[in-house]
Amino acid sequence: MKQESTQVLYGLYNDEEVLLHAVKKAKEDHLDIMDVYSPFPVHGLDNILGLTESRIHIAGFIYGLIGSLSAFLFMTWVFTRDWPIIFGGKPYFSALSFIPITFEVTVLFASVGMVVTFYTICGMGPGVDNPTLDDRITDDKFCIAFDVDNADESKQAALRQFLTDTGAEEVNVKSI
Amino acid sequence: MNHFTFTSKQKNVLFAFMGLGLLCLALTWFSDDALHTRFWSNFLHNATFFTGISFVSLFVITAFTTAWAGWYVGMKRIWEANMQFILVGLGLMLVVALGLWGHFHHLYHWSDEAEVAKDAVMKGKASFLNKYWYTLGTLVIVGMWAFFSYNIRKISLDEDINGKGQADNFKHHRKIRVWSVIFMPLAGFSSAAVIWQWIMSVDAHWYSTLFAWYSGVSWFVSMIAITILTLIYLKSLGYFAHITSDHMHDLGKLLFAFSIFWTYMWFSQYMLIWYANVGEETVYFYERLQNYKPLFYANLLINFILPFFVLMRNDNKRKFGPLAFAAIMVFIGHWLDFFLMIKPGVRHTALEALGHHHTAGHDTTLPFQMGFTMPGLLEVGTMLGFLAFYLFITLRSLSKAALFPKNDPYAEEATHHHVWPYI
Repeated sequence: MKQESTQVLYGLYNDEEVLLHAVKKAKEDHLDIMDVYSPFPVHGLDNILGLTESRIHIAGFIYGLIGSLSAFLFMTWVFTRDWPIIFGGKPYFSALSFIPITFEVTVLFASVGMVVTFYTICGMGPGVDNPTLDDRITDDKFCIAFDVDNADESKQAALRQFLTDTGAEEVNVKSI
Repeated sequence: MNHFTFTSKQKNVLFAFMGLGLLCLALTWFSDDALHTRFWSNFLHNATFFTGISFVSLFVITAFTTAWAGWYVGMKRIWEANMQFILVGLGLMLVVALGLWGHFHHLYHWSDEAEVAKDAVMKGKASFLNKYWYTLGTLVIVGMWAFFSYNIRKISLDEDINGKGQADNFKHHRKIRVWSVIFMPLAGFSSAAVIWQWIMSVDAHWYSTLFAWYSGVSWFVSMIAITILTLIYLKSLGYFAHITSDHMHDLGKLLFAFSIFWTYMWFSQYMLIWYANVGEETVYFYERLQNYKPLFYANLLINFILPFFVLMRNDNKRKFGPLAFAAIMVFIGHWLDFFLMIKPGVRHTALEALGHHHTAGHDTTLPFQMGFTMPGLLEVGTMLGFLAFYLFITLRSLSKAALFPKNDPYAEEATHHHVWPYI
């Protein structure tokens, strides 16, 4: 999928504490942060950014429910209607012996469903081109990015000033 | 408020409930059959239940210490207070053991020597199921638990006063760690052994290899539930300000996870026996489905379905209302679970001993009998009495030490415990 490219101004930080302070300051100054990148989850970052709880577990619950129902109903249909066979002298409909498989299919549906949902929402997956601002943000750098597509010279300069003031080691512009 | 004051009002309420328990025990004794079956089975039921809960408190401390956990340090004084009941439990179980020697009760089929002599299965088990092993096992195993709990608490209290932190390389904490590592394997084997003797052997012919795990997890869940309730109560009085929703969240997770684990144990035991369909194993469940149907299903409903759906959401584990509700229900549920483990077997033994051979077979439908088919008011009163006794021991020990342990290497970490960023 071809996308319009965006001009991004970003600053790279060396330390998570410095990053946290910078993000806090940006929020106080009402700067519009595009995104924050870090090589590992930073404690407290979600709170400062004002991110809300992910709803992926609700999706997971629904997938799990679909999984348990389909497994249970499929086995019920097979063993009572389609091909009834007596196993170990048990009745055709032996709900108890369906439970282990129902459990497994629930876990399978919930986990695969959540992975697919997560990848879809984040626009990731095989064949999708994901531009990275800087390879080092997957290694040892913390990054705050601003969208400067519609920003004039003075606005960009102010953002640059902000990034260096809050302790960014490097400030770059890249179009992604 | 780092020191809990055990007020006389609290003491009086607990004494009142203990009195109620004694009254109920006395009333049960006088309204009982010739063998005092209801009295003794109630006694055994509550004694094993509460002894087990205090044992799990000790086990949890040793497990968390061994795992280098930090979050629990703020509440570890509650568990250290809980485990003081182990010594009381030893006394209670020795009363049951004494009853075997003096033939006061008829709880265990295998204790009747004339019956054992004409029964091949019980003869085969007689080398383990006899009054010598029962008494010695109880004495040695519960005594060992009490010994460990005494030492671990002593070191922990000494750390408050004499601990020097970095300066003495956390000497006290290292000592507790050694005690803990030694205790863990001992706890695993010894708890199974007493569960076989105290609880599983009421059905003397029957056995299940999963049973010790199953009832051990029952103890575990009840212990977490009682910890949650104690903490919520003490927090409402202004104590334990350092325990936040994040700590309660983790306790809620334990309650949730171990409720599911209990169901896993229950289901594994039930399904294997149902599938293999061997008569001498199925009799246990046949009996319970035949004569104790409401309790049998209530057990699953209260101990699995309810905590599963109430505690599934994260915010329910953080709100004290839903958490307390789930904890109360699950506590009652596991008390009923122990009721269902003990009563049917005891009832059969008693029927046989009283000469009702026509109703003593496992395939007959037994009439409704208060205190056996269903817990009656006397059982509830007895349970409240034991619970009050348990809480009395806990709160009394709690009032003797600081609520927040000083000089513990994890004390600082425990006050900064965050598990959930979205509030």
